[in-house]
Amino acid sequence: MSGTRAAAARRRKLVVKAVESAILLLALFLILFPIVWMALTAFKRPVDLFDLTVTFTPTLDNFRTIFAAPWNIGAAVWNSTVVAGLTVLISIPCSTLAAYAFSRFEMRFKGALFFTILATQFIPAVVVVLPFYLLFRDLGLLDTHLALVIVNLAIVTPFAVWMLKGFLDAVPTESEEAALVDGATRLRVILDIVVPMVWPGVLVTAVFCFILTWNEFLFALILTRDDAVTLPVGITRFRTERGDLWELIAAAGILISIPMFLLSSVIQRHFVRGMTGGAVK
Amino acid sequence: MAEVSLRNVTKAWGSFTAVRDQSLEIRDGEFMVLLGPSGCGKTTTMRMIAGLEEPTAGDILIGGQRVNDLPPRDRDIAMVFQSYGLYPHMTVEDNIGYPLKLRGIKGAERAAQVRAAAAKVELEALLHRRPKELSGGQRQRVALARAIVRRPTVFLMDEPLSNLDAKLRVSTRAEIKHLQHELGVTTVYVTHDQIEAMTLAHRVAVMQGGEIRQLDTPEVIYDRPADLFVAGFIGSPPMNLVQGQHADGRFTAAGGFHAVTGVARHSGPAVLGVRPEDVTVAPAGQGDLDASIYAVELTGDAVLVTVQAGDSRIIAKADRAWRAEIGSSVALRLDASRLHLFDAASTKRLQPE
Repeated sequence: MSGTRAAAARRRKLVVKAVESAILLLALFLILFPIVWMALTAFKRPVDLFDLTVTFTPTLDNFRTIFAAPWNIGAAVWNSTVVAGLTVLISIPCSTLAAYAFSRFEMRFKGALFFTILATQFIPAVVVVLPFYLLFRDLGLLDTHLALVIVNLAIVTPFAVWMLKGFLDAVPTESEEAALVDGATRLRVILDIVVPMVWPGVLVTAVFCFILTWNEFLFALILTRDDAVTLPVGITRFRTERGDLWELIAAAGILISIPMFLLSSVIQRHFVRGMTGGAVK
Repeated sequence: MAEVSLRNVTKAWGSFTAVRDQSLEIRDGEFMVLLGPSGCGKTTTMRMIAGLEEPTAGDILIGGQRVNDLPPRDRDIAMVFQSYGLYPHMTVEDNIGYPLKLRGIKGAERAAQVRAAAAKVELEALLHRRPKELSGGQRQRVALARAIVRRPTVFLMDEPLSNLDAKLRVSTRAEIKHLQHELGVTTVYVTHDQIEAMTLAHRVAVMQGGEIRQLDTPEVIYDRPADLFVAGFIGSPPMNLVQGQHADGRFTAAGGFHAVTGVARHSGPAVLGVRPEDVTVAPAGQGDLDASIYAVELTGDAVLVTVQAGDSRIIAKADRAWRAEIGSSVALRLDASRLHLFDAASTKRLQPE
């Protein structure tokens, strides 16, 4: 009696597991298929493009083409790297200090101020893109790295402040107080004690900021023309009057994705540590 | 080396007053324990001395200098925290050496001072470990070493033993007492544990509701508690407190409980206090009060006898070989020289003439 019941329970567990696996496989397929398809396309000759076969002679010609004239995608790679890199380098130290202040200090209108920072994120980009265009035109900053860095800082910093405050709130303050008593200034405390303790959080935030900036399209499209064009905008140039050059789009797509793959593995490694490390008692 | 003075210090958050108009003089080299239940303001008082909280009113002086506006780093203090407050990403050596590093002491000199401090708390073998690889007791010793490594003028210790297990607490307590004696540094020590207060302190400040109820040596606090709160808080098992009436030097309570107090001038509602070790259980008819046994509990080193005398239940501490049946009749003898009488309305101690 109980034996058959146990068997039924085991069977039910097996069915649940099978359904779970099926759903996961489906989700995996939906996510990975376009990426795999893009990767395949990037290594195909144009004649093989619309061939559905998976076996073909791979070629690096597409990458050679996009790095050569007239496409010169290398410039866009450089622009994207400079803009995203500078944005992260400026935004993370500033956001860390701001988040620390919000996390630790009592101040007037703290709640309102903090909400205002979040509220800037609610404004749709299209609403501010024209004012930004006019502003940068008057300043002579159109088509420069600086303009893109400024805009991306405005997008990324509020987000970074929020995220870092979450990490900082989770860190007990006793070690900081110990450092203050031991003779450290507030800035020394942040550098010597706080940042090492929330380092995984800082790293994860930096990666998110980098990816946000790296993928940013609208402002880059409106504010650049030739010199400061970034990868997401540069990729649109492969839609020519001769039609869409899919093999080149795919090759550039691979270039865009490379940092994502590298950085996501960093996040994976540090995120778990960030959640569990740093306990004091 | 320095004395610490609090002058009319108040700390309030909005409508909540944690510390109320408190004045306290801590002498040079003294071991001062702030003792009280949680929320009594003892930790807040210490944090104000450290500079981690700003007083709402009043002055704090260290070595005669007003330090209200000085940040913690300029007060020349060292503090040991309840949860240790170690730097988890640094080795034990770097933890202990951090106060020296901040003062620009480098290389061999720093290493030597760190080793000397580590030796005092027997940590030499663990210098290259990180805090997470240490036991609770070892972590607390790292915190102690970090505090003593640069001879501060004042030690502040915030319940440093409360995260340790009972056995370790006893040995660490002795270590702290020895260290303080050896270094002779003015020490302020916060605890809710009366045993720690009694064993460690030169003087104890018993606090409640943001105020000091009594400030004196452990002996006086134990033998002559200033009010009902101190009487009930100090001592384990706690002092027996009996509600009743007092007139003409004689205390009476419902059910026939009575005692001679030697306090002539007071009459009215009063509370009589007597410590369990000052009550003797005698055979029936051979004492001052008739009673019956309510419970007998062996604690190992003593027997706690709870007796019913009139309407009151009194705990007496008897020799560990003492035995009796529950319900049997006995008599109680109260040590008349060690009775405590308190006015019921003011809760203050009434002193015999």
